[in-house]
Amino acid sequence: MKKNLRWKIGLTLVVIALCIFLVYPPKDKIKLGLDLKGGTHLLMQVITEDAINVETDQQIARFEDVFKKNNITYTKVTKEKPGQFYFEGTSVDQEGKIRDQIDQYTRDWDYTFTGDRVNFKLKPAAEQFLREQAVLQTLETIRNRVDQFGVAEPVIQQQGSDRIVVELPGIDDPERVKNLIKVTAILEFKLVKAGPAPDEETLIQQIGGKVPEDGEIVKGEARRGVQGYYLVSRVASITGKDLRSVRRGLDEWNNPAVSFTLTPDGARRFEQVTGQNVGKQLAIILDGKLQSAPVINSRISDSGIIQGRFTPEEADDLVVILKAGALPAGIRYLEERTVGPSLGSDSVRQGLLSGLVAIFGVMIFMIFYYHLTGLNAVLALLLNTLLTFGALSYFKATLTLPGIAGIILSIGMAVDANILIFERIKEELALGKNAGSAISTGFSRAFSAIFDSNLTTIISGVFLFQFGTGPIKGYAVTLICGLVANLFTAVFVSRLIFDLTASSNAKKLSI
Amino acid sequence: MQIFKKTPNVDFLKFKWLALALTIVLVLAGILNITLGHGLKMGVDFGEGTLIRVMFKEPVSVSAIRQQLSDVGLGNSVIQESGKSGREFQIRTVEVRTTSQASEEIESHQILANKVIAALQSKEDQQRLAQGLVDLNNIDSRSLTSLLMTISPDNAEQIAERLMSYRKTQSIISDWNELKKEPVSLSDDVLNQLQAKTFLGQTTVLSKETVGPQAGKELRKKATQAIIWSLVAMLVYIAFRFKGVEFGAAAIFTLAQDVLICLSIYSFTNREINLPIIAAFLTIVGYSVNDTIVIFDRVRELRKTMRKEPLEKIMNMSLNINLTRTIITAGTVFIAVLALFLFGGKVINDFAFIMLVGTIEGVYSTVFMSCPVVLWWNQLFGKQKKVKK
Repeated sequence: MKKNLRWKIGLTLVVIALCIFLVYPPKDKIKLGLDLKGGTHLLMQVITEDAINVETDQQIARFEDVFKKNNITYTKVTKEKPGQFYFEGTSVDQEGKIRDQIDQYTRDWDYTFTGDRVNFKLKPAAEQFLREQAVLQTLETIRNRVDQFGVAEPVIQQQGSDRIVVELPGIDDPERVKNLIKVTAILEFKLVKAGPAPDEETLIQQIGGKVPEDGEIVKGEARRGVQGYYLVSRVASITGKDLRSVRRGLDEWNNPAVSFTLTPDGARRFEQVTGQNVGKQLAIILDGKLQSAPVINSRISDSGIIQGRFTPEEADDLVVILKAGALPAGIRYLEERTVGPSLGSDSVRQGLLSGLVAIFGVMIFMIFYYHLTGLNAVLALLLNTLLTFGALSYFKATLTLPGIAGIILSIGMAVDANILIFERIKEELALGKNAGSAISTGFSRAFSAIFDSNLTTIISGVFLFQFGTGPIKGYAVTLICGLVANLFTAVFVSRLIFDLTASSNAKKLSI
Repeated sequence: MQIFKKTPNVDFLKFKWLALALTIVLVLAGILNITLGHGLKMGVDFGEGTLIRVMFKEPVSVSAIRQQLSDVGLGNSVIQESGKSGREFQIRTVEVRTTSQASEEIESHQILANKVIAALQSKEDQQRLAQGLVDLNNIDSRSLTSLLMTISPDNAEQIAERLMSYRKTQSIISDWNELKKEPVSLSDDVLNQLQAKTFLGQTTVLSKETVGPQAGKELRKKATQAIIWSLVAMLVYIAFRFKGVEFGAAAIFTLAQDVLICLSIYSFTNREINLPIIAAFLTIVGYSVNDTIVIFDRVRELRKTMRKEPLEKIMNMSLNINLTRTIITAGTVFIAVLALFLFGGKVINDFAFIMLVGTIEGVYSTVFMSCPVVLWWNQLFGKQKKVKK
């Protein structure tokens, strides 16, 4: 055996072994996309404006405080829009003092003086930072929630500047997960000052025609059996941030409920509030809706219970979201795709069946048309398929329906490469050359066509991968993998098989 | 074995005007159909709305479904049968135009979709649901497990798993007796208790896809961007490798023709454009460019040895020499795609259909259109002399 054949055989065997290792067992190694496996794909947008809004409110509250402490007088604060507000009625001679205070407290806000107004504007860089943080925190919170809920192999990724993609394989109750992800989950405990009243007008009449400065009106959550409107204190006694642990428990009637314990700091405040307000009602508010308003019977320190006609599932879900924490900004769903497990497995079964029929059909045709040489093409084809899947497994790419299209194109081009070579060899044989020289001229002449056509398609694949999303990307990945494998099998392995089987001076070739 | 005993000698370029005329007719017919006639159906990926795939226990007719939907004012939904069993259908809700800002969200679509699903339930099923019974054909695995906990706490999880995987293979359970047999093998006792708490609903949802207006727009934009860039890259590469803009231009022209003709034919069918169809078009283009490059490669080679001959003659020779290869390659691809078309199932069927069309069309465009475009380009821009070295 020639020396250069030996290393070629060696290399081929190593590649084959490597790919078998990468692909076997295919069930574990080849990841299927949701369209083939079943599951839920969600695309959502983080409303980053919310984070700016919260920051603006906090900043206003902070400066009101700072101004008061430093005897800076003003008449009114107005929030123009998120990230922009002004203090009115500050006299001009306080300007220096104001400057000092602002510079001391924040560098994120630009401020200008016009007459008796101080205008605040969030700096673009700070705004950008807040938005990015909001997306990152949302991502983290969603990840926590999904993990707590218990989904195998979820994909939770940021896409673009403010989009989040969540992929949950094998989920058969998407509505529940969707609601679980979407709730903002801001939990607040506030004292009830008045209510309930059947509607807002009646309530306002009851309290004397005007909502007091330190109060606000909330609506009862009808699903929890709480009707009407309540007036509660504006400032929350404790919030979700003060929770130390949460778990599902039972209320005194053995209905599902959520019990919690508080952090030491939270417990101290809770103790104070409950101690001072025995006999009054405490409103438990989730995302602005009153869940229940139990009467404070005695001073409570570090633990409590949230009740309100929960089903076991609802109680479980509330535990999950309270544990995972609140979202820093709201989200809105842009896209939802749910593929049931039976449709997914149908697609896999039929895809596999048709793929096998396709490959066998092509193989039989090749052997029928090219006889023994066709067998060479069959081997190359099998190897090409193996290499493609090996590459997919190595790059941890997921196989989707459009991905299968990519494989078909690459297999078609693999067969085409063989056909090009064989036809060329036939031409050379027709000119009266012996097998050996026909093979080597055939290969070298066909090479430029194979190379150019594969490379052109690879180039287009690279661009599709770069600019495309989801399915288009999936298509591009399998296509690129398949074509690179193709260049190896058609040009290298096919040639090797010829060199090994055809004796170089034979006049005839089974082609 | 050989298709042609001798290398054929057909003057393909003689047909160039006829081919051009045919192309123009096909493309025009498509444009007319898309703009004035039947129109191009945008799938849920690029439009907006919800696509629901449902399966029924018993075969039903499209008109019966339409009747059920009309009762809740959704009679204008697009209803299509898929598969041959008469039990599977695709329902596409029609766009809702809300005046509020909520149209940014997909919620309005989802409310509509849920209305569709509710409307498909039979009166009996609705009564049973109202009685507090659970639909075994739509229950999720967690709820099933906790339900079975009350019946047979010792092996609730195993039973739930068997039941769910059986339902996965069947899509829908039509008869209680199925559950007594392998592989679920429920005991009579468990089955009786289960029957007291659940029922076998008439329909099940196989898949539900909702795309909001914003996401649809973005998908459209991104797909277009990706395709345009990849085409530009191909043009640049071909122009570089074949040392002439005319070859790149011809490849792009043939490719544009492939897309337009296939789109035209597709517009006359009842099928929708969605993301997998875009992948199919890219594949068609891929094959066609591949074919074209093989021909151009031969032209490039022959031009080195036959410098005196006119380009037209060289092109004809290249086409003839490669004819066997063109036919066999297209033939093998056709075999593969035919298998997908016949056995690939409903999800892949549209994809396979346009691939079948594209394979044939690709051969036509390569053989009859790719070379003439190079000639026309040279005539128009007068670079024939310069390229001929």
